[in-house]
Amino acid sequence: MRVLILGYRGNPYCGGQGIYIYNLSRELAKLGVTVDVMVGPPYPDSLEEWATVYKIENLNMWSIKTKDIPYEKLKRIFSPWNFLDYILTRLHMFPEMETFSFRAFFALEQILKTKRYDLIHDIQSLGWATVPMKGYGIPVVTTVHHPLTKDREADLQRNWGIWDKTTTILFYPLVMQGFVIRRVDRVITSFKEGVDELKKAFRVKKERVSVVYNGMDVDMFQNTGEPREENALLFVGNTEDTKKGLVYLFEAMTMLPEEVTLTIVDDGPPKKMTAGDLIKKYNLGHRVRFTGKLSYDQLVSIYSRKTILVMSSLFEGFGLPAVEAMSCKTPVVVTTSGSLKEVVSPDCGILVPPKDPVALKDAIMKLLKNKKMREKMGKNGRKWAVDNFSWPVAAKNTLEVYKDVIKEYRSRR
Amino acid sequence: MPRAKIWGFLAVLLSAALFGLSIFSIFILNYHDFSIFNAVNLNELSAMTFYSVSIPLAAVAVFVLCTGFWIGWIILTIKVVPPMPEIVEKKDNSKIKAVFLCLITASLAALMIYGVYVRSYWALALPALVISAVVLGAVFWVGMAIISTRSTLITNKK
Repeated sequence: MRVLILGYRGNPYCGGQGIYIYNLSRELAKLGVTVDVMVGPPYPDSLEEWATVYKIENLNMWSIKTKDIPYEKLKRIFSPWNFLDYILTRLHMFPEMETFSFRAFFALEQILKTKRYDLIHDIQSLGWATVPMKGYGIPVVTTVHHPLTKDREADLQRNWGIWDKTTTILFYPLVMQGFVIRRVDRVITSFKEGVDELKKAFRVKKERVSVVYNGMDVDMFQNTGEPREENALLFVGNTEDTKKGLVYLFEAMTMLPEEVTLTIVDDGPPKKMTAGDLIKKYNLGHRVRFTGKLSYDQLVSIYSRKTILVMSSLFEGFGLPAVEAMSCKTPVVVTTSGSLKEVVSPDCGILVPPKDPVALKDAIMKLLKNKKMREKMGKNGRKWAVDNFSWPVAAKNTLEVYKDVIKEYRSRR
Repeated sequence: MPRAKIWGFLAVLLSAALFGLSIFSIFILNYHDFSIFNAVNLNELSAMTFYSVSIPLAAVAVFVLCTGFWIGWIILTIKVVPPMPEIVEKKDNSKIKAVFLCLITASLAALMIYGVYVRSYWALALPALVISAVVLGAVFWVGMAIISTRSTLITNKK
């Protein structure tokens, strides 16, 4: 089987899309699939060991003032797609996905003179030109972890004033994504509730959605054996994202004993003020600490040392921190929102309703008091993560979807 | 001088000249009559000629106005979970402004369609001027940036 994977950003070390392409392509190649990857910058050179990489130009001009665009990029603006990118970014739109799809469409026309693909797998770009790609006689599958409507809602909550709201609405290409997603042959999403979310957001028919759990690097995320701290909670995530429900965790903290501390893996004030303001409001300054961005090694170490990982989210498209923590044998307390109730099994952690600080506090206390229960949940969590969320499992399940789509496509023709 | 700088100068000069020409041809060449619906008599044009120009222009203008309406409508109607407490405390009058945005864009779109229907000169001239201003403005601005930005690479003298 020969598959072409499309992604508008290819950084294999940072950003969900690049990491997904890197790991999925590697594992698919191990399963005997010939993988070609067509990506925008930052380009994943490390993929070339197992895949043919086609690089698609993009000047990444979003949120850069014209006078601050580097000279080497300025020189290239007057080409059609770059100029369109430039104008649309000045109008506060995010055109990377649509121009990527057009560039990919024309690049593919050239490639198809010498090659043939059984399937095209688009990773969450859903640009306009993804639809005419079907005209090449190849089925198109797309991966959407969660609909961008959720992100837009979260941003609109934070926005104040009509200008901020207008720029947020212009930023998200929801009309384009809605149009395209209804026309691809299959949509892959990473949790069962995502099927309903996609139907609600984009009117995608349920029978055209397949659920494949995301993968993660279970070899990297292993308990380091460092001694566990007591009464040490951990939160991993963007503190500016209201979907993370940090305010409810802080409320729970005010009800927990003074010796319970919280470490947040993200930047705090002055870089990010939202959490800082809430800490002041709840008078938690002496109990909450920010680590800033961490390397993978540091992240694995902190997962292995802290007592419990807490996720107070109002919505999660996957909930990677919970899986990473389970993989490091750390018990978790999470809300039942979005994918979390599927991702976390009840024997690996405690699930509580979202927006309920009292339930959050009770669950945390229950675990803090019972070391045996924590150890048992930790062990179960590791097994659960390896069995369900490793990249080989994700690639195997994705391959099953490919086979099904190809069979269905050929039977229709 | 590097070739890119020459392109930069050309972009600035050409866009400024073309925009000047647009202003001249739209406002000055027909200075004798500025009345809104009668400035230039387009009834002399054949229907085919008129609609081949007016329909694409009107389509772009109505699309932009509809986008404005759609933004206002979303701000008016979107339901989100309650925001964090400190956001609730701030008074946000964006819904009132969104009502005005919807009203203004809907009125302009209706006016635009009516203008095309009665073959108004301004119904074509104003959208054409705005589109030219956006495209030529972008060319001008990039040209200025190319001229005023220093190359990050050291010139290879050999």
